[in-house]
Amino acid sequence: MWHKSKKSTFLLVAILAFTMIMTACSGNEKNNGNQAGESASNEQSSQPAGEQPAKEVTLSYTIWDMIQQPAMEAIAKEFTEQHPNIKVKVEVIPWGDYWTKMSAAAPAGTLPDVFWMHGGQFIKYATGGFLEPITDKVQAGIIDLNNYASNLGSIYTLDGQNYGVPKDFDTIGLAYNKELFDQAGVPYPDDTWDYNKLAEVAKKLSHPDKGIYGFAAKLDTQVGYWNDMLANGGYILNEDMSKSGYDDPASIEALKFRYQMVLDKASPTHQQLTDTDSTEMFKSGKLAMIFEGSWRNVDIDSSEIIHGKWNWAPLPKGKVKRGNIINGLGNTMSAAGKNKQEAGLFLEFLGSKRAAEITAEMGAAIPAFKDTQAAWVKSKPDLNLQVFIDQASDAVPYPSGSKSYPVWFAKESEIMSQAWGGAISIEEGAKKVAEMMNQAIAETK
Amino acid sequence: MNSRSRNMWAYFMVAPTLIGTLVFWSWPAFYSIYLGFLKSENFGLVNHWVGFDNYQKLFKDEEFWQNLKNTLKYMVLFVPSTIVLSTFFAVLLNAKIKGQSAYRVIFFLPQVTMPAAAAMVWVVLFAQDYGLLNHVLGTRVSWLSDPRFAMYSVVLVGVWAAIGFNMLLILAGLQGIPKTLYEAAEIDGAVRFNKFRYITLPLLTPTLFFTTVVLMIGASQIFDSIYLLIGKTNVALPSVRSLVYAYYQNSFVYYDQNYGAVIVNILLFINLILTGLQFLFQKKWVVYD
Repeated sequence: MWHKSKKSTFLLVAILAFTMIMTACSGNEKNNGNQAGESASNEQSSQPAGEQPAKEVTLSYTIWDMIQQPAMEAIAKEFTEQHPNIKVKVEVIPWGDYWTKMSAAAPAGTLPDVFWMHGGQFIKYATGGFLEPITDKVQAGIIDLNNYASNLGSIYTLDGQNYGVPKDFDTIGLAYNKELFDQAGVPYPDDTWDYNKLAEVAKKLSHPDKGIYGFAAKLDTQVGYWNDMLANGGYILNEDMSKSGYDDPASIEALKFRYQMVLDKASPTHQQLTDTDSTEMFKSGKLAMIFEGSWRNVDIDSSEIIHGKWNWAPLPKGKVKRGNIINGLGNTMSAAGKNKQEAGLFLEFLGSKRAAEITAEMGAAIPAFKDTQAAWVKSKPDLNLQVFIDQASDAVPYPSGSKSYPVWFAKESEIMSQAWGGAISIEEGAKKVAEMMNQAIAETK
Repeated sequence: MNSRSRNMWAYFMVAPTLIGTLVFWSWPAFYSIYLGFLKSENFGLVNHWVGFDNYQKLFKDEEFWQNLKNTLKYMVLFVPSTIVLSTFFAVLLNAKIKGQSAYRVIFFLPQVTMPAAAAMVWVVLFAQDYGLLNHVLGTRVSWLSDPRFAMYSVVLVGVWAAIGFNMLLILAGLQGIPKTLYEAAEIDGAVRFNKFRYITLPLLTPTLFFTTVVLMIGASQIFDSIYLLIGKTNVALPSVRSLVYAYYQNSFVYYDQNYGAVIVNILLFINLILTGLQFLFQKKWVVYD
């Protein structure tokens, strides 16, 4: 009898303990989830930083660009020197998985303390209450959004609340391989070039039999045909973001022009560019020209094959103007973080001139902070990085900032790949994209 | 110890597995069925009941039917080839040959290789310009981005990866066949093929039945090799996209968990029917002694 009851008691205790662990877990999760919905900004303003005893805190800072990791770590290190009790762990989740992970983390209440934000995703996270507003800091003048170039401070604002500190901006340039130009005796691209010149030279520099092509007329948006469409007088989304511009005749013409370069064998085929990334092809000297974003500068220059043999030029002019897309990234903090006060301090530092200088000097990205861009231009003196700064003034903002963006953007490449792969015509593809975009806009209203 | 407390202990011992299965397998399955009737907003924190709307949308979606066709095509190509090749290699490796264990290791290697790493190697082998396959065959086929070949390339990699483990299962089945049967057959003068046909094959049917069921369920859930080998901007994607790939796209790329859920619910239904049919028809061909 004694024997038996002892065993059942043990069993009971074990089950109880197990249940408690289980419920504790789920209870926690619920709390975090609820917190996400409410704003807890008063907690911050009621406790000034100086009066709190310094507790040891490790913040998580999540980014998507491995190339910028050293610069972000340098910023974190300097922040820890100023605030010895706060350590920052920089984590990289590649772009391809970044938003998938974040969309799982948001409802679970496990978003990183501070993380990079993209204009296209911002609205979703802000309307859901997953981002901590920084309006108090902005109004108190701790963070001054006028410090940032090209109106970048306004990107991460929703319904009068501020959520993000501008980090950097990027524009698109034309990278060219000097060696391939020299061999053909063709002068390098400059600001007089238009699209016809691009196509003409691309054809001249192509030697498909040797696996060398003049230009990568690839399926891509921000570093691809969006620039072409704008230059040709087309558009991606109309002003109030209620209608797609893919079926605009000028947009279709620009898309066809790009695809023609594939047909003319002035560019690798879509299949080849699916197998090998065009920038990797450029890095190995197989492509004479590519469109690429300023963020790839360090990466391209790290290639031993092409180092010292390449440079940047502005994008060619189109029928109407020079097209370019400017996009600004921001730093945001989670509303469900456990150390929001410390995260707020780190956010302030990320928006500071010093952080911008570190970003610029290490060549990681063009900092958003005014008058720090020159340091970035000087980070690689032999490259004409000034083209990115010069093009910023005429550039069109990245067409995000609507709830429908994440939906149509993901579907866009799938439809266009059918056109680029030759399964449907360019016109058909563009019209399909327009239809899909308009539907996505209607559904997310 | 009386039987009641003994049962308690038994339950306690199986509890970790049981709870794990309930929490990580059964619960999500039921939750998926529930999700299929909802329209979720704000990362699933706000939900509206919409009844069968998602299913109606699904059945009108041409892409869904194409994906279903692709999945069934993959199953039809993958399962028989894996079974036949695994049996073939298992029978060979069951014979007494030199370096038997070395061969077993070689065939089992794909099983212990990381699927993502293996897929990356295959991508290089299949590459149109510099790929080994085109080099050896003297062709310039884009194995992974030509809609005519992409499915076969995916099946090839799938079979390559599956042979090792299934061969091992079948090998275990082979070694369970009593030697005395073969000796008796030899005395009666049976040739090698007849020994295989009338002794090996019938006595192997329980193992073959098990592997077929498991392989079919596995094949119907094909995702990783499509994700890794084909990729999302591939023109061949519509001709290889499986139901689970469509589920992934809808749930995690387009952020429509509800539409994703109805896709896997249909898949669950198909698998229940297929497995049910197999158990029904097993009497016709499976020999239990």
